This record gives sequence, C-alpha cells and structure tokens, in this order.
Amino acid sequence: MHPLRHPRNAIFVGLVFVIVATIYFVLANVGHYHVDYAGTTMLAVLGIGTALMAYVLIAGSPNE
Amino acid sequence: MTSPSTVLTTGDPGHGVAEHNPVAGLAHDTRGGISNPILGMLLFICSEVMFFSGLFAAYFNVRATSSPWPPVVANDPVLTEHFNLHAEPFYALGLTIILVLSSFTCQFAVWGIRRGDRTGLIRNISVTLVLGIVFLLGQAYDYSTIGFGLADGTFGTTFYTLTGFHGAHVFGGVIMLSVILYRSLAGQFSAQHHDAVEAASLYWHFVDVVWIALFSTLYIL
Amino acid sequence: MATTALTPAASAYRSGLYEWLTTTDHKKIGILYVVNSFIFFFLGGILALGIRTELALPGVQFVDGEVYNQLFTMHGTTMIFLFIIPMLVGFGNYVVPLQIGAPDMAFPRINALSFWMLPLGGILLFLGFATGGAASAGWTSYAPLSEDRALGSVGSGQDLWIMGLTLIGTSSILGGINFLVTIFKMRAPGLTMFRMPILVWTVLVTSILQVMATPVLTSALIMLFIDRNYGGHFFDPSNGGIAILWQNVFWFYSHPAVYIMVLPAMGMISEILPVFSRKPLFGYKAFVFATAGIGALGFSVWAHHMFTTGLVFLPFFSLMTFLIAVPTGVKMFNWVFTLWRGKLTFSTPLLFALGFLSMFLLGGINGAFSAAVPVDFALQDTYWVVAHLHYVLFGGSVFGVFAGVYYWFPKMTGRMLNESLGKLQFVMIFIGFNLTFFPMHQLGLAGMPRRIADYAANAGWNDLNLAASIGGFVIAASMIPFLWNVFISLRNGKIAGDDPWQANTLEWATSSPPPPYNFDHLPEIRSERPLFDLRHGRTGH
Repeated sequence: MHPLRHPRNAIFVGLVFVIVATIYFVLANVGHYHVDYAGTTMLAVLGIGTALMAYVLIAGSPNE
Repeated sequence: MTSPSTVLTTGDPGHGVAEHNPVAGLAHDTRGGISNPILGMLLFICSEVMFFSGLFAAYFNVRATSSPWPPVVANDPVLTEHFNLHAEPFYALGLTIILVLSSFTCQFAVWGIRRGDRTGLIRNISVTLVLGIVFLLGQAYDYSTIGFGLADGTFGTTFYTLTGFHGAHVFGGVIMLSVILYRSLAGQFSAQHHDAVEAASLYWHFVDVVWIALFSTLYIL
Repeated sequence: MATTALTPAASAYRSGLYEWLTTTDHKKIGILYVVNSFIFFFLGGILALGIRTELALPGVQFVDGEVYNQLFTMHGTTMIFLFIIPMLVGFGNYVVPLQIGAPDMAFPRINALSFWMLPLGGILLFLGFATGGAASAGWTSYAPLSEDRALGSVGSGQDLWIMGLTLIGTSSILGGINFLVTIFKMRAPGLTMFRMPILVWTVLVTSILQVMATPVLTSALIMLFIDRNYGGHFFDPSNGGIAILWQNVFWFYSHPAVYIMVLPAMGMISEILPVFSRKPLFGYKAFVFATAGIGALGFSVWAHHMFTTGLVFLPFFSLMTFLIAVPTGVKMFNWVFTLWRGKLTFSTPLLFALGFLSMFLLGGINGAFSAAVPVDFALQDTYWVVAHLHYVLFGGSVFGVFAGVYYWFPKMTGRMLNESLGKLQFVMIFIGFNLTFFPMHQLGLAGMPRRIADYAANAGWNDLNLAASIGGFVIAASMIPFLWNVFISLRNGKIAGDDPWQANTLEWATSSPPPPYNFDHLPEIRSERPLFDLRHGRTGH
C-alpha cells in the first residue's frame, strides 16, 4: 500500500506536533527564554488529537 | 443507472492487508471504511480532546507560576490543608475505579451486540449507566466535602473547572447511555446495525481516559 | 449527459418559507449561510463606517470613547465570526458535495443545526447594544480588561459576547466534522483524494483546523466566563491568575482561525483561475502539500501576536512565522504560472481573482515584515497591523468571496450576474479598498496606535485618516451595483445553463440549479478535471 494510505503512518502527522512541542519546551529552557507551559501543553495535546484524527480518517476511508 | 453508494463491495472491509486492522471491529460501510456516524463521533472526540487541552494548559501554566503548589494560604491553615489533595487521593481513586469498571462493562456491551447478544447488551449498558451515575453522585459528594470552592484562589478555580467540565461530559455520556438503553430495550439494535452503541461507547471510553489524565494530574503529579 | 431528467414543471425547490426554515439540503443551507453572512457583512460594514466617520477628522465628533470601543470590538467580531468564516463554510457547503459527486453532506440535519446556530449567536452578540452596551474590549478581549465587570459595558455585553461566540464556535466544530466525513467517505467512484478539486482540499484542511482549534477558543471563553461570573481566578493576577494565559489560549485558536478565514478563498481562486485561463492548474500536488503545510505550521505561530508582552520565546515564533511564507509563496507561484500563457477571459470572477492575488501578495509581504521581531516591536498595535490584516482578509478573503459569488451565482440560481455591473463593482471596491487601507501602512509607521477614538490634530495623521475614511465610503458605495446586480439578475438575468463557464469540475455537470439529489448521473472520473475530459472525449458517459 502507498505509504500515504497506511493508517499507521497517519499517526506521524500528529507526532510532528508532539516533536514541535518538545522542541519548543526544551529550547526555551536551554536558551533561557520564557517557558510556556500553556503552549507546550496545547501543542502536545494537539499532536495526540491530530494523530487520532489522521488515523481514523485514513483507516476509516474506503478502499479505492 | 445505479448510484455509486449502492454498489456493494464484498469481503474485506479493511484495506486488503493481511495484518490486523485495529478498526476491523467497528461497524463498516458497504464501501469500506468506518461508518459515517462512528467516524463523526471519533472526530467529535478529537475536538473534545482539544477542549480539554485548553483547560489543562491553563492548569499547568498556573501551577508552573505558583510556588508552592498546592498553594499555602496565609492565615488559613485549614484551607491549605484542604488543598493538599495528595494526602487523600483514596476517594478520587475510588471514583477512578468505578469509571474504569464502567468502561469495561461498556465494552462488554459492544462485544455483546456485535455477536447479536441483545440481553448482554442491555445488561452491560445498564451496569455502565449505573456506574456512571454513581460516579456523578460521588463527584457531587466530593465537592460538598472537599473544603474549598471555585473562588478559592487559582487552585479552586482550576480544580472545579477541570473536574466540573469532566463531570459535565460524564453527564452527557449518561444521557447518551440512557438513550442507548432505551433503544436496546426497544429492540432497535442488531449485530449488523448498532452504530449508536459503538459511538456511545467510544465517547464513554474517551470520558474515562480524560478522567485518568485528570486524576493523575490533580492527585498524583 | 447533463442532468435533464426533470421537466420544467417539476420544480426542484418548493421554496416557501417553511422549506427554507426546515431544509437539510446542503444547497439551500449553503445559500442560507451565504445570505446570513452577507447580512452580517453589511452590519459589520456599518460598524466600520462608524469607525471611519469618527476618525475622518481629529476631535471627537460623533461617538465617545466607550461607544467607539464597542464599534471596533463588534466590527472585528462580526466580520470574523459572522461573516468571513461562515461565508466560506457556506460556499463549501454548496459546492463541495457537488464537486465530489455526493448527494448531500454526511450529516444533513447537523448541517442545518450548524447554520441556525449562527443567526442565534449573532443575535446574542448584538443584543449587547440593547442591554447597556455591547462588548467593548476588542475582538481579542484581552484580560484583565475583559474580566472587569465595571469597565466598559454594564457587564452583560461582554457575557453575551462570550455566549454568542461559544454558540458560533460549536457551529464551526460541527461543520468541520461534517465536511471531514463527507470528503473522506462520500466521494464518487474514481474520485481519489488526489483528483479532488483544490477547493475540496482547502475545505478539508480548514475543517481540520476548525475541529482542532475552535475547542481551544471555547475553553478560553469558558474560563473567562467563570472568572467574570463565578469568582474564578484564571486570568486574575491579584489572586495568582495569569493575564497572559488568556492571550496564549486565545491566540492558539485565533491564529489557525486566520487560515480558516483564507484557505477556502484560496481554494475558490484555484478553481476560477484555470477556467478563465483555459489551462490546468499549475502544480496540483504542490497546492495540496502547501495547503497542508500552511494548516500545520499555522498551529505553531500563535505567539507572534504577543511579541511585545516580554513573555514569548521570540526566535521560535519568528522563525515559524517566516516559514509559513514558504508554502504561501509556492501557491502564489502556482497561481501565476496557471495564468501564464493562458487564454485569459477578463470576466468578473477573474478580475476578483486577480485582485485577490495582488492584494493578498501585499498582505503577505507586510506580514513578513511583522514577523521580524524588532520590526514588530515598533509596529505592534499600530495601524500597520490594521493594514496587514485587512490586506489579507479583505484584499484576500473578501475578494475571493466576490470571485466565488460571481462564479457560482449561475449554478446556484440558474441566472448569470450582469458583467458590466460586476466590473463596475470590482473597480469601485478595488479603488475603495486600497484608498482605505494603503494609507494605514504609513499611519502605522508614523506611530498611530490602533483602537483609539481620536488623535491629536498636530500628529500629522490627518490627511491619511481622511483618505482612509473616504475610501471606506467608496467601499460602501461599491455594494450598490452589487446589490442591484443581484436583484435584477435574480429576476431577469441571462439563463445560465449547466456550464456557462466551460469549467472543469463536477458541479457543472448538472443543471443550474441542481435538483435536490444533485446528479442524475456522473461523468467518468479519471483526473481532477472530469468535465474537461468529458468535453474533449478523453472519458465516457
């Protein structure tokens, strides 16, 4: 199956946001910038939600 | 000329791959894929996840900028004592067990109707419903004895908002389960047609997962 | 080939009031969305005229500061939540099921519910004017100002604002879910994902944004409501709360919201440009990935609205903001290359599409300046930002909306809009728009802050403000040929037929207006241009 059609790969879309959240949090700490707990939380949860959404949309789509 | 949606596909409703398809159990469309109402419920759950993300974001932000946490209230050691949820997690743990159990019974109900077992469906949905109501009553009792209110600083505000909105979602789930129970008693579900049961159970599992996150955050972390 | 099964006597619509109030047909609901949105466009426009009238000359002439605050607050709120977002959803509602060959949306009754929440939400918002004062803390409603019951309106205006927006947000979320299930599950056979029209792709990404971002706004609104009404302390610094938390949660939604406000308009342009240049869309796959990229990146830039608070990880957000220019630039190039060496027909839809391209480009450029932190430090909360947001939202989205109106009016009503009146409207609105908003660049650079009811006569801002105010009235005047055009065309416009534009996508393969079930039968679908293929003998049916 084409990689873009495999449901498991759809989860990577969400994972991207979790990675961004991690980078956001870590770099802010390391660089002594303002550490934004609210933003980190929202981005991380967005990653989880988007992974779930992408998975159900791809897995739930009809075969073409 | 037949319209596209009446073309029936036979056999594998998944993706033609030999590996286990995690959504294989969910009710399927004739054309393949998850049925529309269930997909809709799953997407709704995604949106609800984001709703709670805003509330959790507020909580973590407030907590990270307050020292100490739980807050120490000058001149009010009793209130400070009440804020210390870590000392007394057992009641909340009891609520957690009730909700987790209800998720199990809900899933038993789904498995039942997938097999066509209407009696099993009714029994398990009833138990789930009762457990859900017990949870709500338990939460209300907790509120009445916990010793602080919504207006008691940011601790009170975040606690009541998070648990309150979770409770509201449980209440929504209880209503959904009541409708499912009614429809089950009326014989409206079969092994081939029970989308509403699947959808309601997915929502109920979501509510349970949120509670586990809440419980861990408020009482353990 | 086309849908001709119905005799003229079998009217596709029973268009009585009851039918319109209870319809679950995506086409009627789409029209309801469009009409409702235009009503709020005019209401928001009147509020804008109120702003521009006061600012035309220095000195307080017509409204005091408190009323002025209500004007700009309600102008922004109305235009964003009651005009542009639902307008684009309305076009999506009408066109998307047709373009994918579906008979309706996945959840027709929820579709109707989503619509009716809008006029209700709008009434709640505007009720503030009748109950002591509408919300007046800006459409961004920053804490702690918005927490204060004593400031501004007697209090209920802000609470009504919260309630109205919660309802409207719910409408948005439900609509997004509806679109996603429709697009993923109800495409006609042969219409693979990578054969979908770009409008469908943009609506798809917009719907993802709506479903994932709007609930965050809901949570912010609820927290504000709790603070205002139940003694909560989320944003209350005197009790351990954090004022900037509001900004963080609010902008986490409101930045993706701006992409919700523009992506479907970009989709509409992507439909119109190929048709009027008689060329395929350049770089279809790049469009898809660029749209997805914009949607994803759009979640990681929210704090660029907060650079000056001193509590932001500046390099991160500046970098992410610059990055968004990349997929947007890709789209720009692709649109231009679609036009390049095409056989152009300068009908009104194309004129508005070209207006979109040029004005959105300006908005993108002045936005790129703001992405640079030091520049933003100087220009934050000045009229530069007002210029930027109007160039992308008016020059971009509104021009896109009008392009869509002129393009799809024939499909929706069976009549063509008058070309001369259309061209007249375009010239007037183009001139009026630039006259209003271009001077705001200079005003911002000269230091004029936004959200002020008055300014000193010796600040050097007088002429530009007067020019902007005149421009505002020119924009208002441009609505006259438009409304007249709609009125006469509905009664007596040229009959459109199925496919007046010789277009490419499926909505033109059925009658104008389509029957309730949309298609008697569909052409064979083997590319993203099924109608073009059919017309040129490459496919059957």
